[in-house]
Amino acid sequence: MKRYILLAVALVSVAVYLFPLYWMYVTALKSGTEIFQYPPTFWPPHPQWNFRQVFLQHSMASYLWNSLVIAVGVTAITVVIGTGAAYSLARIRNRWTSVALFTVLMLQVLPSSLMVTPLFVAFNQMGLLATPRLAVTLAQAAKVLTLYIVICRSTFLQVPRELEEAALVDGNSRIGAFFRIIVPLARNGILVTSVLIFLQSFGEFVYSRSLISEKSLQTATVGLSEFVGPQINDWNGIMTYSAIYITPILIVFVLLQRRIVSGLTAGALK
Amino acid sequence: MNQIEIDDLNKHYGAYHALRDINLKIPAGSFVALIGPSGCGKSTLLRTIAGLEKFTGGTLRIAGEVMNTRPPRERDVAMVFQSYALYPHMDVERNMTYSLRLKRRPREEILERAKSAANTLGLTALLSRKPRELSGGQRQRVAMGRAIVRNPKVFLFDEPLSNLDAELRVRMRGEIRRLHERLGATSVYVTHDQIEAMTMADYVVVLRAGRIEQQGAPLDLYDRPANRFVAGFIGSPSMNFLPARVAEDGRTAILGEADGQRIDLGREVEPGREILVGMRPEHLQIRPASDATGLQATVELLESTGSMTFMEARLAGAPITVSQAGRMAAARGEPVRLQIDPENLRLFDPATEAAI
Ligand SMILES: Nc1ncnc2c1ncn2[C@@H]1O[C@H](COP(=O)(O)OP(=O)(O)OP(=O)(O)O)[C@@H](O)[C@H]1O
Ligand SMILES: [Mg+2]
Repeated sequence: MKRYILLAVALVSVAVYLFPLYWMYVTALKSGTEIFQYPPTFWPPHPQWNFRQVFLQHSMASYLWNSLVIAVGVTAITVVIGTGAAYSLARIRNRWTSVALFTVLMLQVLPSSLMVTPLFVAFNQMGLLATPRLAVTLAQAAKVLTLYIVICRSTFLQVPRELEEAALVDGNSRIGAFFRIIVPLARNGILVTSVLIFLQSFGEFVYSRSLISEKSLQTATVGLSEFVGPQINDWNGIMTYSAIYITPILIVFVLLQRRIVSGLTAGALK
Repeated sequence: MNQIEIDDLNKHYGAYHALRDINLKIPAGSFVALIGPSGCGKSTLLRTIAGLEKFTGGTLRIAGEVMNTRPPRERDVAMVFQSYALYPHMDVERNMTYSLRLKRRPREEILERAKSAANTLGLTALLSRKPRELSGGQRQRVAMGRAIVRNPKVFLFDEPLSNLDAELRVRMRGEIRRLHERLGATSVYVTHDQIEAMTMADYVVVLRAGRIEQQGAPLDLYDRPANRFVAGFIGSPSMNFLPARVAEDGRTAILGEADGQRIDLGREVEPGREILVGMRPEHLQIRPASDATGLQATVELLESTGSMTFMEARLAGAPITVSQAGRMAAARGEPVRLQIDPENLRLFDPATEAAI
């Protein structure tokens, strides 16, 4: 009985969370008048497939490409720097480790909107604003690095130290042991965190908005905000745009969710 | 030739002095056991030999070469960890041959060696299993297999049997020992189980608080313990210690109070000296109270395992354990006589705890 109640609660909350998503897709298919119809329709009788039109009209190819470039760049930088940092923070235990971790967490507290002005000034002086996508990539990487380090570190903590020592005795160098034993065992954590970082960066708004002035280099989130003007009426356009933007992300997430299942280190000990 | 030579080795963890002035020579082909209570530094010493811990002073040689700062992979040692530390993402065969693949040995040789190790350890049917699909005993064998395929100069074992049940442990003891004899490599074996040490090793090193208390052949340690700690640590049940004072004649001692019972020491000791008399439970013989000679004691408790009887008794106000083959009956509070051959008495200085 209790199980069914819990299941019902779970289903209801999933429905509440997923409803906006559903509404987005449905609205994307509705015509302008149908959107404001009361009572609302839950499935449009005459769906309009204007994805192609919105895609071309709003030069989404360029926007999505820029978002992708930035997200890939941020993920690459974060994984390269963050994995090493997370590993050191997991293995070395002393006073300074705690200090470093605390500092890392403190950085997470600072919101982008607060950081963006000083970053703008600094980047401007360094001439980084000439390559605005690089500027956004760096700023965003610095922001998400903390999250990556904290999550990855806990993954590394779960890999028993003896495994690394066994690898050293078996003939590995420290670096060899890291890449051949530790990283494969922590790969789920690394992968999941990288995906999170990627998705976050794909949806980044504040830095792109402020650091990129040229429209051809602008990202998809900023492109979406251009729909919002003094008089908003193109709800269908907004929802179509959003659907195009979000669907690939959803697909990636669904494909990878099975990886999130853990249990890779089972059987190592005892 | 000495395979491992350790001279004045010291190791600190921060301010903690984990190993103190360790001197140890391990001849090639011998089986050495490191024993001592928990936290005495056994694992630390073993890990130092493996190169997993740096040390703060002294010299470590393996096969004549100074190894002080060499990384583990240059020492040609294999180690079996207490937790086994199998690579969870590799199957049994890949676990065992990982070191060979790292050295880029030819394929045929790798296969050959994996097969022969699997044969020796009875793992042939399990070669394609992952560690999580094995029982504790099987994992232990894989950990052993990983060490023997390498054919190393030195085997290091860190309590490899402590996670197994009693029966398997006894069987594996014999197997490890036979394996050692067949391979002829030098083995260093850490355990806190003195029976394991006594039965398996040619040479036993007793550690306490980072210091070597005594080293020698197992029976030497049993027969001639250098101090009270070793005397109590080796042998089961532990040796009994009774405070006493040497009488005027220098050949007997008075147990407990001034007017206590006398015990023949069987040798000359300085009269009036305070001593500790050590008696192993198995050296005491139980006699009826009607006997004219022997120490008078009172029975407190009898425990029998079927083949052995352990008697807890009180002698000169101190608790004492006596073990005897076979069975016996006695009531609580019943008086008995205990006899011991003076040959079997061990005397210690109560202050320094050294043997007299
Ligand atoms: N990394 C470390 N940092 C600080 N102290 C340590 C460290 N490793 C071990 N020690 C200390 O060194 C001492 C010896 O440890 P070791 O692991 O060698 O004990 P052991 O004899 O193997 O004990 P056990 O039988 O419980 O395994 C212990 O007191 C322990 O607290
Ligand atoms: Mg230990």
